[in-house]
Amino acid sequence: MHRTMHQPNGIQIELAGVTKAYGEQVVLDGIDLAIADAEFLAVMGRSGSGKSTLLKLVGGLDTPDDGTVIHRGRSLNGMNEHERTHFRRASLGFVFQFFNLIPTLTVTENVCLPLDLNGTRAEETARRSSEILTELEIDGCAHRFPEELSGGEQQRAAIARALVHEPELIIADEPTGNLDIETAERVLETLSLSCRQRRTTLIVATHSREVAALADRTLRIRGGRLEVAAP
Amino acid sequence: MSGLLALAAGRFYLRHPWQLALAVAGISLGVAVYVGVDLANDSARRAFELSTEVIRGQTTHRLLPVGGSLPERYFGELLRDGRVTRAAPIVEMPVRIGGNGGPRRTLLGVDPIKEAGFRDYSGFVPGRGADFTRLITEPGTVMVPDALAEEFSLETGSDIEIWLDGRLVSVEVVGTMRSVAASADTEPPLVTDISTAQQLVGSAGSLSRIDLALSPEQARSLGEDPPSGTILVAAAGQSDALTEMTRAFRTNLTALGLLALVVGMFLIYSTMAFSIVQRRPVIGVLRAIGVDRRQLLGSVLSEALVLGAAGSAIGLVLGEVLARGLVDMVLRTIGDLYFGNAVSAADPSNWIYARGAALGLGATLVAALGPAVDASRAAPDAALRRAALEQSTRSRANFAALLAVPVLVLAVSLLLIGSRSLVMAFAGLFFVLCVGAMLTPFATLLLMKAAEPVARRGFGLAGLMAVRGVGASLSRTGVATAALAVAVATVIGVGVMISSFRASVVSWLDTTLTADIYLTLDQPRAGRPFGSDLLAELSALPEVGSVAPTRYFRVRTAFGELGVRAAEPGPRGWGVDMVAGEEGGATAALEVRDAILVTEPISYRFGLGVGDAVRLPTDSGERPFTITGVFRDYSTGNNAFLLPLETYRRYWRDDGVTGVGVHLASGYDAPEAAQAIRATLADRTGVQFRTTEAIEEITLAVFDRTFRITEVLRWLAGSIAFLGILSAVLAIELERAREVAILRALGFSPRELATQILTRTGLLGVAAGMCAIPLGIALAGLLVHVINRRSFGWTMDLFITPAPVLLGVVLALVAAFFAGIYPALRGSRTGLDGALRDE
Repeated sequence: MHRTMHQPNGIQIELAGVTKAYGEQVVLDGIDLAIADAEFLAVMGRSGSGKSTLLKLVGGLDTPDDGTVIHRGRSLNGMNEHERTHFRRASLGFVFQFFNLIPTLTVTENVCLPLDLNGTRAEETARRSSEILTELEIDGCAHRFPEELSGGEQQRAAIARALVHEPELIIADEPTGNLDIETAERVLETLSLSCRQRRTTLIVATHSREVAALADRTLRIRGGRLEVAAP
Repeated sequence: MSGLLALAAGRFYLRHPWQLALAVAGISLGVAVYVGVDLANDSARRAFELSTEVIRGQTTHRLLPVGGSLPERYFGELLRDGRVTRAAPIVEMPVRIGGNGGPRRTLLGVDPIKEAGFRDYSGFVPGRGADFTRLITEPGTVMVPDALAEEFSLETGSDIEIWLDGRLVSVEVVGTMRSVAASADTEPPLVTDISTAQQLVGSAGSLSRIDLALSPEQARSLGEDPPSGTILVAAAGQSDALTEMTRAFRTNLTALGLLALVVGMFLIYSTMAFSIVQRRPVIGVLRAIGVDRRQLLGSVLSEALVLGAAGSAIGLVLGEVLARGLVDMVLRTIGDLYFGNAVSAADPSNWIYARGAALGLGATLVAALGPAVDASRAAPDAALRRAALEQSTRSRANFAALLAVPVLVLAVSLLLIGSRSLVMAFAGLFFVLCVGAMLTPFATLLLMKAAEPVARRGFGLAGLMAVRGVGASLSRTGVATAALAVAVATVIGVGVMISSFRASVVSWLDTTLTADIYLTLDQPRAGRPFGSDLLAELSALPEVGSVAPTRYFRVRTAFGELGVRAAEPGPRGWGVDMVAGEEGGATAALEVRDAILVTEPISYRFGLGVGDAVRLPTDSGERPFTITGVFRDYSTGNNAFLLPLETYRRYWRDDGVTGVGVHLASGYDAPEAAQAIRATLADRTGVQFRTTEAIEEITLAVFDRTFRITEVLRWLAGSIAFLGILSAVLAIELERAREVAILRALGFSPRELATQILTRTGLLGVAAGMCAIPLGIALAGLLVHVINRRSFGWTMDLFITPAPVLLGVVLALVAAFFAGIYPALRGSRTGLDGALRDE
């Protein structure tokens, strides 16, 4: 268990003057942003506006061209690849639009993967994975492979994988973009509820106003800049 | 490595059994070809050593006649005057069991009493009912090897017919022998008493040689002053030249085996690279959730290790099976070329299996290292994006094309630096193949770019999609196309080399065989049957225009024991194809007093050139001869020099003749002349009669047999490449299931889809074939001008005929086309819902 203890509602992530460009196209242009502990932040914007890029930078999957991304006072830019990998492993959980479960592992095995990587003991791994599968109501598919699940079940499994090691931050990129409305609502409720119960920070990139409505704060990216979205 | 990572990797292969099978098959075939060739080679090498060992026994030296035969009295004189203390007289001759067409063996006439304690015949002799007394006292008795006794159901008291000296004689078996030292590994000789042997050959008072066990002092003394007309030869040294020649032959085979392994490595690389490329999204997810590079690298390498172990294990078994087929070909070729006799297989060394397993595992790990490092280095987000992968692959193709330039410089440097080194030549050749492989993906992109307008005009958007599909999936197709190009280039290169060599041999035979009929001695004795009376009789025949006698003999020189041919020119000249020397050819070159011509292989091997002097032992002591020319010679057996018969007779004082070239009178053809000559030879034994056509036929038959193994190996390399392209194409097309489903949804008919898939795979074949042509021709040039030159000292002309080139291109096309059939069938049957639901 690598979770770092922190003050309630302290600043967890801070972006200062972050700029990112792909070739000539500047996607993020001098972004400043602070994200508090246990906050649910929704990021909206048109396709290609830079939502996913912002999430990648926050998650240490990519580095900014300019500016810094700071996690609990430590700059991700200053970390080497190994440190960034371990930061992700211990502190982050990812939920992708296309679920991205490992197709050759069962649901339980997929969920156990982060615990396994963090060196959690086998009994503890079994207990926690079982608990989260029950909590997310997918314990019935524990031993099935991803391809045997419905879209909603797959996304719940992905959420279980993201939460099981109790990270400080969950990054979700269009988590409901591939689901029907009803399923999307249920999945999102599950995700936000689970995060709130655990006081886990949640950043969601989305097109959906319904999703944004559940968030503590909603920001919109436009022209590479962040602005507060109209309610 | 995390257990879950291993589990995920294991299940990936279980879900893609064809990919697993192809990876294991690639490794297995690569290992099998290498191990098979190595086993066959090792078996042949040990058989060769045992063959010489069996005949040589404990002999340190041999006293041989310089010309003619060795008087038996020398044996007594040497022992009497105390110059030697341990000696054994030998009469040796080749025989055939059962008749002229029967298996060849050596009949060794020994003195069993002198042999005792000198040559360890106790190892041979104590077989069933061996009766030494009868062997010594009764004429016409022999002891036969156990294996032979079994083959011909012989036992003590049986009669056995042997073809000897051109006639069939019957001898009685008085015991069998079992070779303890050599066990069943080699062909032991038939042994008889020396007097029986002399009686059978009709050479009373003559010996083939005297075997000696000498101290270094005795050897020095006898070497300096041997009995008149004899030469002292170190027993081991006699086989050195043959060892050298067979080694070169085996090196070539080993190189081909390694080439197959290299092609196998490409397949392994291709398979590993593909399996990793296919899992890049998964790798991206793993990286995102915290799997570090070391863990990924470890995971992929462990995967490779498991595949390598499985493939190597199967490869060793297949190699053993392959070796059984190859060993016969190798032994037969070595026997044909160098021994004129049968050579049997020996048990190969167990180290070969260990080496094969190590190579299989090592090659798999090396091949997997690139993709593994690649996977571990990919940034997590890049691993998730296919476009990023293709973009980086195209950049790499450009980089590889640039890198090919320094690699080519390295290859040329290796070829130039080690101007005589065979190893350097093979290293250079390997790097040339690497250059070809490095250029192939780049060339494929260029070719596809060039084909776009044609495809669009000819086949519309569907054609354009097929052409672009090749370039767009370079990450999947690049390595496989390179592997196919290298394998096809090998097929072309070796094919062109063989056809060039064959054409050169045909041309050489045309130049060399100036006479119409050749008579040669069948037995290695003095030129008794070719007395002046026979020559006169032949000359008197109306069918015969002229006869050209030759004398073949072997001499001990500073370069080892070498063959010398003394000849007279026929009406069509000397019949030699000069490669260096006097402007007027052989005639001008041999007009010089004490002139001698040297064969090209000997010239190359010992650095002998025009103007150099070579010292040969003559009857009147050692004399220098001036080399005035170098001539082409594709025969084996250390034939070294050609000199005028007159020179030979002057210095060796021997008028013996070992061969006669008969030139027919005008108006007569070979069949009717042959009849007349046969009638003249009716009562002469030991003379072999062959027309020029027959010699050409036999030579080319041996040539074809020699290269059969090369053919087998190059087709094996081709099969490995086929597996490679099959693996890649299958994987690509199966991966495109969603694309196929979309096309179906858009209105493509199953037939149109199948056509598109086949067009795409066919284009891969075209690209590989186009790249393989220049590479194959370069390979052929290197094989002809560098490898063969350094292996055997032969030069030959490079004849680029369309057949082997076209064959290679057709192979590439057919391989790619067949590889596309299953994906085409499957693609055309893909259900729309399943494929589209995936994401």
